[in-house]
Amino acid sequence: MGYLNNQVITVDAILTKKGRELLAKNDGSFRITQFALADDEIDYTLYNPTHPSGSSFYGEAIENMPLLEAFPLEQQIMKYKLVTLPRGTAKLPVLDLGYSAITLNQGASISITPQTLNYLGNSQTFETSGYALTVSDIRLLNTFTGLGIDTTAATNANTEATTALNQTLGTNVSSTIIGTQFSLRGTTINTLFAPTNTSINGTLTFIGLDSGARLTIPLTINYTT
Amino acid sequence: MSFKRLETDDFVISNDSITSTLWSDNVPTLTTFFSNSIQENSSAGTYYLSVYNTSSTEQQVQFDIAYCDALGSGSALYNNAVPIYSPTRTLYGQYRTMILEDENLNFIFGSSAQTGIDACGTTITSSTAVISDNFWMISLERARYKQSIFPGSLNLTLSSSTPGVHGAQISLTDNSNDITTVPYIAGTRAYQIVSGSNGNGISNNGGYTTNSGSYGIMFPDLGLIMLNPIALSYSIGLSPSRSNDSDGHNNTRLFTAISQSSFGLNSEETISSDYVFVRARNSEFNYSENPSFISGSTGEVIYTNFINAPQTYITTVGMYNDMNELVAVAKMSRPLLKDFTKEALIRVKLDF
Repeated sequence: MGYLNNQVITVDAILTKKGRELLAKNDGSFRITQFALADDEIDYTLYNPTHPSGSSFYGEAIENMPLLEAFPLEQQIMKYKLVTLPRGTAKLPVLDLGYSAITLNQGASISITPQTLNYLGNSQTFETSGYALTVSDIRLLNTFTGLGIDTTAATNANTEATTALNQTLGTNVSSTIIGTQFSLRGTTINTLFAPTNTSINGTLTFIGLDSGARLTIPLTINYTT
Repeated sequence: MSFKRLETDDFVISNDSITSTLWSDNVPTLTTFFSNSIQENSSAGTYYLSVYNTSSTEQQVQFDIAYCDALGSGSALYNNAVPIYSPTRTLYGQYRTMILEDENLNFIFGSSAQTGIDACGTTITSSTAVISDNFWMISLERARYKQSIFPGSLNLTLSSSTPGVHGAQISLTDNSNDITTVPYIAGTRAYQIVSGSNGNGISNNGGYTTNSGSYGIMFPDLGLIMLNPIALSYSIGLSPSRSNDSDGHNNTRLFTAISQSSFGLNSEETISSDYVFVRARNSEFNYSENPSFISGSTGEVIYTNFINAPQTYITTVGMYNDMNELVAVAKMSRPLLKDFTKEALIRVKLDF
């Protein structure tokens, strides 16, 4: 008879940049009420279901990998969340934007309404909590707004994004908004285009706030004289 | 669903006392001591002398030495026409107000209730407490002692060029291990400094002088070590200059006595930790939104055996507030396998 392992795994947490900000506000917004798990860094193509030693060794290449320490920037961590779905799920929730890439001329606008496929028994649906959209470089846009979600978090995020649009003044920072529909307008500032650049590039990352599904597409703004 | 709400009993708050070495570079005992002529000759130098751990450009203040005298002796007067008022008197009043909380009280070295054996082996009795109107104060740099000095860790050796009754050198410690109740002066902990080591006076509960009380008082919560010149003069011949209206260089006298020996001390601080118990049930978190978990753009899982027997690997735990904002994050040391036959219990520690 052997002893059962009754050890609890203990890990040390660090505050994210957002966590420090909320802690400093001291207004009660730093109150942990829920958690999520993620498998950042895992490459499931390393999982080998044909391993000659049997099923105990399928995950051999993954299970012993050393992991990086936590990053304090919330945009760079918890990228790929683990989700709870019924057993037998063959298709995971994925986001559908109707675009695989977005290219805008200077001053041109676009409206994006994301949908989630394969979620909650629906082939396609709109998530109740909405979607988070992050642009990698706020300088690329003149307008960056989210509509359709009326929560405090959405209002705060959209207000911060508007502030960032007005205040960054040439600083390359990312910005996040929340909504079910997003409006984007390409920048009209010519100085961002170096003398020989005809376009500037960034990325748009959409995250379903209920499903955790995530999609990143390229964003290109073309220079127009 | 990717978020799971935490229950009330998933949170535990713990306060842990952490002790560590007090000096820079985690040195348990300071053996090299340096002063800085710029600081010594500045206006602040008339009040205190800063002591550094090295003479290099990376030197850091470890502690300050100040001589305090109720009569204003040992330093030049602020104004020759106004007797008594000098930096040493200012300092005496400063510490008296801060510690004794009453301008009519004086510091008493030793306790009338103490009985023990002194450094010479002589049994001493309750008459040894003395009232002193002057003292040296060692003020530890705040960043060094963090929250408080760890009682029982003081090991200060002083040397003198003019031997006293006990020779030219003496090792001092606090008496925290000799007593059963924590002594207080006004509202702060105050341990007597006696001859001995590691919180024990020599010959248990001793270490006092025969007629000059204790060697000083340690205030752990204030980061202060007060030394009794009467006892030091009697024991090892270390005396301050108490001349009027002239700089007695008393800070330098104590600095010289310390710099020929060693100074061991530890710090103590209480760390409040929040423990959050994260529980992943067998039916939860078995699928992933990781792009390598999905084959193609329509969401099919990468391996067919993942449909009924998916396996995921937990690497990261994210803690969120009600607004779904990620406020804290923890990483595992290695991936933790999760499937429909396994449950995970992870304790996340948050330090403040």
